[in-house]
Amino acid sequence: MNFSGGGQRWRSQKPKRREDAYNPGRKFLFLHILIVLLFAILTIQLVRMQVIEGDDYRAQAENNRLRELQILPARGLIYDRNYNLDQPLVENVAKFSAVIVPADLPAKEEATVFARLEELLGIPAQEIAKQVREKREDGNPYEPLVIKDELSPHLPGVDLQIEARRNYLDGELMSHILGYVGPISAEEYADLKNDGYILNDQLGKTGIELVYEDILRGEPGKKLAEVDASGREQDVLDSLPSEPGQNVVLTIDLELQKKTAEILNQFKGASDTAAAVVMDVRTGEVLSMVSLPTYDNNLFSGTLSQEELDALLNEPGKPLVNHAIAEMYAPGSTFKTINGSAALQEGVANPGTTIVSHGYITVPNQYDPNVVYVFRDWAALGALDFYGGISMSSDVYFYYLAGGKQDEGFQGLGEERLARYARSFGLGEPTGIDLAGESAGLVPDAKWKEQNVGEMWYVGDTYNFGIGQGYLTVTPLQLLDAITAIANGGELLRPHLVKEIRDSHGNVVSASQKEVRRLLPVAQENLAVVREGMRRSVAEGVASSAQVAGLAIAGKTGSAEFGSPRADGTYETHGWFVGFAPYDDPEIAVVVFVDKGSGFINAAPAAGRIFDYYFNQRYVAEQEAS
Amino acid sequence: MIYWRAVRHFDPWIVLAGLALTSFGAILIYSASLTSYPDGIQGLAHPAVRHLTFAAMGLVVVGALAWLDYRFLGQITPTLYAVAIVLLVGVLVMGTETYGAQRWLNFAGLSIQASEVAKLLVIIVLAKYLADRQTEIGDLRTFLGSLAIVVVPTGLVFLEPDLGTAIIFGAAWLGMVAVAGVRPQHLLAFLATLALSTPFVVVGLMGDYQRERIANFLNPGLDPLGGGFNIIQAAISVGSGGLFGKGLTEGSQTQLDYLQTPTRDYIFSVLGEELGLVGALLLFALFTLLLFRGLRAASLARDPFGRLIATGIVIMIVFQVFINVGVNIRLLPVTGIPLPFISEGGSSILMLFVALGLLESILLRHKQIEF
Repeated sequence: MNFSGGGQRWRSQKPKRREDAYNPGRKFLFLHILIVLLFAILTIQLVRMQVIEGDDYRAQAENNRLRELQILPARGLIYDRNYNLDQPLVENVAKFSAVIVPADLPAKEEATVFARLEELLGIPAQEIAKQVREKREDGNPYEPLVIKDELSPHLPGVDLQIEARRNYLDGELMSHILGYVGPISAEEYADLKNDGYILNDQLGKTGIELVYEDILRGEPGKKLAEVDASGREQDVLDSLPSEPGQNVVLTIDLELQKKTAEILNQFKGASDTAAAVVMDVRTGEVLSMVSLPTYDNNLFSGTLSQEELDALLNEPGKPLVNHAIAEMYAPGSTFKTINGSAALQEGVANPGTTIVSHGYITVPNQYDPNVVYVFRDWAALGALDFYGGISMSSDVYFYYLAGGKQDEGFQGLGEERLARYARSFGLGEPTGIDLAGESAGLVPDAKWKEQNVGEMWYVGDTYNFGIGQGYLTVTPLQLLDAITAIANGGELLRPHLVKEIRDSHGNVVSASQKEVRRLLPVAQENLAVVREGMRRSVAEGVASSAQVAGLAIAGKTGSAEFGSPRADGTYETHGWFVGFAPYDDPEIAVVVFVDKGSGFINAAPAAGRIFDYYFNQRYVAEQEAS
Repeated sequence: MIYWRAVRHFDPWIVLAGLALTSFGAILIYSASLTSYPDGIQGLAHPAVRHLTFAAMGLVVVGALAWLDYRFLGQITPTLYAVAIVLLVGVLVMGTETYGAQRWLNFAGLSIQASEVAKLLVIIVLAKYLADRQTEIGDLRTFLGSLAIVVVPTGLVFLEPDLGTAIIFGAAWLGMVAVAGVRPQHLLAFLATLALSTPFVVVGLMGDYQRERIANFLNPGLDPLGGGFNIIQAAISVGSGGLFGKGLTEGSQTQLDYLQTPTRDYIFSVLGEELGLVGALLLFALFTLLLFRGLRAASLARDPFGRLIATGIVIMIVFQVFINVGVNIRLLPVTGIPLPFISEGGSSILMLFVALGLLESILLRHKQIEF
């Protein structure tokens, strides 16, 4: 038999033991070789994996083991101007969410997990599957996907996550100012992922939450964690703590805000849309801002269904829109204050300029004198000087100042100068308030009309412009800001909602300053005349419904016609009041707008009540409190 | 019965290698079960303790079998065969399913892995059949008869489905008929037929799960969290172990639960990760020692029956090791086979010690004719 190779040598080590001197034969030799060969194959593969490719596999093992996770900071809080620590406007509360980490979800068990989730949470399995697939395709399978803000039991790859939810303590009262936070959208995420936002993040969507996002958010931290195969954190190896967001102190006075909302609701009448803003005329601080109808911004903290959102969007009064800043309306007679200021400044009129209102004026057609256009006053008011013109709100008086009366040789301002002054009062441009979605309004002129309407500018257009009708539109806040400039002696201010920023320990980080956008091109004495006209309007004129006993209020009403004429030839009107108090040393200005209402019946008395609360009742209430 | 002078033929290396491997296994099981038993060994229920308990019982079995004459088994082969078949049918009918296959038979409070027992029984029956036909070993009848004996249990384990054990049956049969001396032409013809029928087996006989396993083996990235998960994670574990390993109980893959069944089919990945190439080579050395001593017993056997039993045992063990480790290191598709002596599992350990006892019994009697 063939004795050779390893087998024989192995045997030959113990040759003396007679009984072991066996003859293994070729077959046993072959089996020895087979054993050695099989182990050699295994060894070669092991050397390849462990020695040659070892670094690669070690990197993969580390990649398995370590996961870098974001630590989200606590979002800053928001307070009213009194910075009462016990009374924030928003708080962060815990919400328990069931989340899926797609990377930890075994494909084989997906169907089972989704089915069980459907059973537990009532969310269709296909819906979950779709979301998981999308998240995988996004290439970020380690980020938890929120399935439901509720608790869930043990399922592989499904986790329970505690998230912060914003709870707005005054819901509907403050929603237009505070706005809300919502889940980051795909586009936002693409823009912001380098700033530490994660796919599952929340961020301000509108209001203060949006504008002050950078301040409220804080700095996210990071941690390097060791995770097991199911993605559960085992150990934190390294962490960089998050920096909590800073707190925002608003200029809003919560009590005044409540009162403003209450009064507006009371006086808006049958109208579904109304707005009111109170501003400090010395600083531009907004003390209250109410837009009706409103919505509860807490709805957006939960998961708002598409139907609920659609319902909000389609509601007739557009509750999601802040009517104080985003919607534009004809200012009506309130614009006469600006028209009057311009006329005084340009020498078109002086306080003694007397014009007789017969209840209308006529303008013959430029080309065909037989055609005569009639522009009506609201009544035949007789002879009026400038003060009378404002206080009685004579349309004829301001037709003269704006458009002149050619046949009587009275030179008006003309559309060009009127538009220039309107713009210098801040109309036609956003005020720059720290809220998103502000409208610019529209100040028309001949060029604008030609481009947008395709018609030339007629003197009739100037007449309408002069009494705040026609193409001119403003937001309530713009109008308030313009009147504020008249009240404070010509400073057009940037309205603002934030008084100061405080860090999480309460230290003031920055305080906002009064910001003068520009000075009105109107001399002090002329502004004084307009203020006096406005005082008389409340004291003895058409704004008398705004009167408050013991308080000198200056103001101007407006009932701006809009839409198409009713059967009797009259129009629906926007009710306006804008004014300030005290007359001698103005502190606050108020604008009240009621979409379908009258300046005299709705807006002026509402403003009066707000002034009354601010100067009288609040003072009494504070005295009683202290 | 035994003649006391024969005790000097007892091969201590076989038992020592078996015990060394079992202890090695216990250490690895301890490390691999730390996630389930974070407080370590608290009682007899701990898998590492159970493993050593089975080894201790195994020692008694070795003693008992060495004392018993293996030739006695040759007289009851029909019974042994019947037991094997009953066990395998039983497991199909009323077995407990784990990891997609029915492998456990619950009997009188014991959980028996039927195929582990059946493997050894079939080797004994086959050895007897071939030993009794030494004169007509070249006949096709003998060849086909031996094939018939092994085909039935192979088919039954295949249905569990347990492709790995089916392959072990096939390998043991192949090795035993070769050593018994069948005609090479018969063997070659059989192997050629097998090779030609492979496509039909893949299409017709293989279950979906087996085709899926092969697909996953070829490209585990297709389903990295499902079927490919174990393949990828086992490879990462072994590969990341490097030359010396991360240290016992220090392997992140093992300790963070990335391995499924780390105390059973994937225990080699634990070894590879925590003890590295050096640990693996130590394991191979121990197996080689045991297997060579087994071949020594085979070649010393006084009769073909003993020689064939020993050959069958050696082949059974070496193929189990190769397939198990091969699966762990991505040389072979996934198939559930325990690593002999190392993997947790009472049936496997006990039957391995029975096998060692048979080897000793064969050795103790190989010169009996002199007395």
